[in-house]
Amino acid sequence: MRSRVLPVLALLLSVLIFFSYTKSVYEESVAKHKEAIAADLRALAAAEDYAARSGELVAAQNAMDQDALGRLLKMLPDSVNNVRSILDLDGLAARTGVAISSIDVSRESAAQATEDGASAQSPVGSVELSLSGKGTYAAFQKFLQGIETSQRLLDITDLTIIGSDTGVYTYQMTARLYWLR
Amino acid sequence: MAVPPTIPTSFVPHPGGSEARRATTDLTGAFGFFTYFVFAIIVLSAFAVFGYDRLLAAQQKSKDEQLAAAEAQLDLATVNGIVRLRDRLASGQTLLNKHVALSNFFHALEKALPQNMRLSQMHISMDSNGKVMLTATGNAKSFNTLAQASDAFAADMRIKDVIFSDITVTASNSVSFALTATLDPELIAFAPATPAVEEADITTP
Repeated sequence: MRSRVLPVLALLLSVLIFFSYTKSVYEESVAKHKEAIAADLRALAAAEDYAARSGELVAAQNAMDQDALGRLLKMLPDSVNNVRSILDLDGLAARTGVAISSIDVSRESAAQATEDGASAQSPVGSVELSLSGKGTYAAFQKFLQGIETSQRLLDITDLTIIGSDTGVYTYQMTARLYWLR
Repeated sequence: MAVPPTIPTSFVPHPGGSEARRATTDLTGAFGFFTYFVFAIIVLSAFAVFGYDRLLAAQQKSKDEQLAAAEAQLDLATVNGIVRLRDRLASGQTLLNKHVALSNFFHALEKALPQNMRLSQMHISMDSNGKVMLTATGNAKSFNTLAQASDAFAADMRIKDVIFSDITVTASNSVSFALTATLDPELIAFAPATPAVEEADITTP
């Protein structure tokens, strides 16, 4: 009788061990570890590529003309700094002979649409300055060209010229300036 | 002599009964061997799975540490600087391609307008699509002067859809008019060759 009971118990115990431990550990814990290791290996490979690419880009950046990069930073600065731009415009007007009567910040422009139309993701912000002044046509031409060739990028989006018999015209314009958000 | 039926027969077992019992014993032994063998395999596999699991756990911990070290070595400030430089270069290129230089238009206007024609008011506006509209009012010495200006605008393909309206002869026999037109975006596009009267001096540190 005993010689038959023990094998049956061993078989039952085998089944119990297999289903309660071996199978569950292999299918859950081992699989989880394998998946985590595979993810780590992928991340490590990506980090290696990232570091290599970053090194290449830093080298490329260092190889660029630093003066040109400085001009680029002035053209599209990190902040709007419209007060400085207003002062610079006032100085330009004084040098060219245009008498500025008012300068004001109109409003922040809508986000600039990118090529694919994803305006919400545009990294460029813009604000519009409205200004008015008086001066001769020659003075206005100098002022206009000063704006067009300024290091800080300015686009005139609206311009009104009112003539007079004295040769001194009244100018009202809206200029848009940009910065990198 | 005949044995009476009341006397029991021999107690010696029948030879055939002894063979059947031996066969049963062999089957029981085989079953026992099989179950013990399966039990041993199952126990060994359980230990193997346990060891494999621990090995993988150790490997995962090692890889996690390597990954954390690799992440710590990444310089995010440098990467952010590179990303901003990329944005600045791309956006700067886009903005420069759309940069407005109205001086080109005024040069073209000076060439197109006859000497004895005068604009008293002019308005240039640009909509969000980049379309540039021109409206103006002015005076010309005569109809011939107005016609001369109209021909000049027609010859310059960059000033389009030129319409003279509200044409009125004044008391001094001059002709007053209103003018509407659209400008070709190329006419007001900035080009580095644009003659600069004064070096740009609007900067932001």
